[in-house]
Amino acid sequence: MKEALELVCRVPAHPDSRCWFLAWSPGGGLLASCGGDRLVRLWGREGPGWSCRAVLGEGHQRTVRRVAWSPCGSYLASASFDATTCIWKKQEDGFECVTTLEGHENEVKSVAWAPSGTLLATCSRDKSVWVWEVDEEEEYECVSVLNSHTQDVKHVVWHPNQELLASASYDDTVKLYHEEEDDWVCCATLEGHESTVWSVAFDRSGERLASCSDDKTVRIWRRYKPGNEEGVACSGTDPTWKCVCNLSGYHSRTIYDVAWCHLTGALATACGDDAIRIFEESASSDPQQPTFSLAAHVPRAHSQDVNCVAWNPKEPGLLASCSDDGEIAFWKYQRPEVC
Amino acid sequence: MAAASPCSDMFDEIVMAEERFHGEGYQEGYAEGSHVGVVEGRRYGSLHGAKIGSEIGSYLGFALTWQCLLQNCTDEKNSKKIRALDSLIGMIQKFPYEDPTYDKLQEDLEKIRGKFKQVCSVLNIQSDFRIGTERPSLTF
Repeated sequence: MKEALELVCRVPAHPDSRCWFLAWSPGGGLLASCGGDRLVRLWGREGPGWSCRAVLGEGHQRTVRRVAWSPCGSYLASASFDATTCIWKKQEDGFECVTTLEGHENEVKSVAWAPSGTLLATCSRDKSVWVWEVDEEEEYECVSVLNSHTQDVKHVVWHPNQELLASASYDDTVKLYHEEEDDWVCCATLEGHESTVWSVAFDRSGERLASCSDDKTVRIWRRYKPGNEEGVACSGTDPTWKCVCNLSGYHSRTIYDVAWCHLTGALATACGDDAIRIFEESASSDPQQPTFSLAAHVPRAHSQDVNCVAWNPKEPGLLASCSDDGEIAFWKYQRPEVC
Repeated sequence: MAAASPCSDMFDEIVMAEERFHGEGYQEGYAEGSHVGVVEGRRYGSLHGAKIGSEIGSYLGFALTWQCLLQNCTDEKNSKKIRALDSLIGMIQKFPYEDPTYDKLQEDLEKIRGKFKQVCSVLNIQSDFRIGTERPSLTF
């Protein structure tokens, strides 16, 4: 039987170091990777494989923990343990660091662009989430510092089409923020995980959110607006996010990343047990209580912890993963017929 | 009591002595402990309250000074700075110093700290700048 998840190729992206995170450019043609070697690398297709097209160095003094593309694809943001975030701008012959965002007290853990491209969010071990606004002159200005989490903030991500921000933390919660009367406020706290929440991902519609945790579970949360037919209680005008599914028993260690494919709806996870798993939602399942089944499982996808999984935004089934072993792996996923 | 013989009363006294002394000891200890606890709590409260007061006070002084410095600069760039300062000052003025039982005290304090950091970022000032010489930095 053909495997549902097939290896296309492997690249030693950050040799003798960890590869922390991957980000596909909005057009899907380039993959950005970052690592413990303080570098950001860009990868493009070459024949059957992938080759390095650019190296973005000299921006950071310490590990680069995360990279994010702007929606237009002309800018790349990199978040580093040196407490800064660099903004790289596409030039004719590569990328140039045009701005360095300072303000966090220590390690910046994550960065994300809003779908409009005019807002950027960063988070840090200093427990805060910062929202930055970009003006026409490419100047970045902090519009809010949110101290809602009580511990290290691991991850920030924007809603796919609204100005709604989600953050995941060592305090075991996910928090959501929106703008209210000229300032940003925390509008929801998702409680349920029993340990650090490492990552969150919205589905294509943005009505659901997947979170993965050190408690070895993936939880699916669904948004219920005030006055919903299902009778889920809401406080005031804010919607409630209710956990509608808990994927437990599949992972044997911490789940570091979750990626929800906006083309196919497949859910991929990156786990500390060196494995990659893919889940599919049962077509017949109740939207209020969806069921997901394991569609693919590659036990030794990498030789060490898998840190990140990323679906290509244009090519259905193309998945990239990276690991503490410093490698990037490219995979081809085909939904099994029985699923 | 009247029905009991004086003899049984005497033994009663001896038999119950341990329990009686235990009770008295407990009462005395409780009173003493409460007193010490109140004193300690008071000391901690005034120390902690003073810390918060000094923190918030320095933010307010900082914000008012900058508001004053920027009052004649009305271009768009500065109006953003002034808006952020106004917002910080407003938050501090609304903060209830007189009510230590205010249930959102910690939450509001975190919001003020966040706003202060934002203001510093907008003004392009390191938020861990030195104040005076006796304290190494603005760490509360």
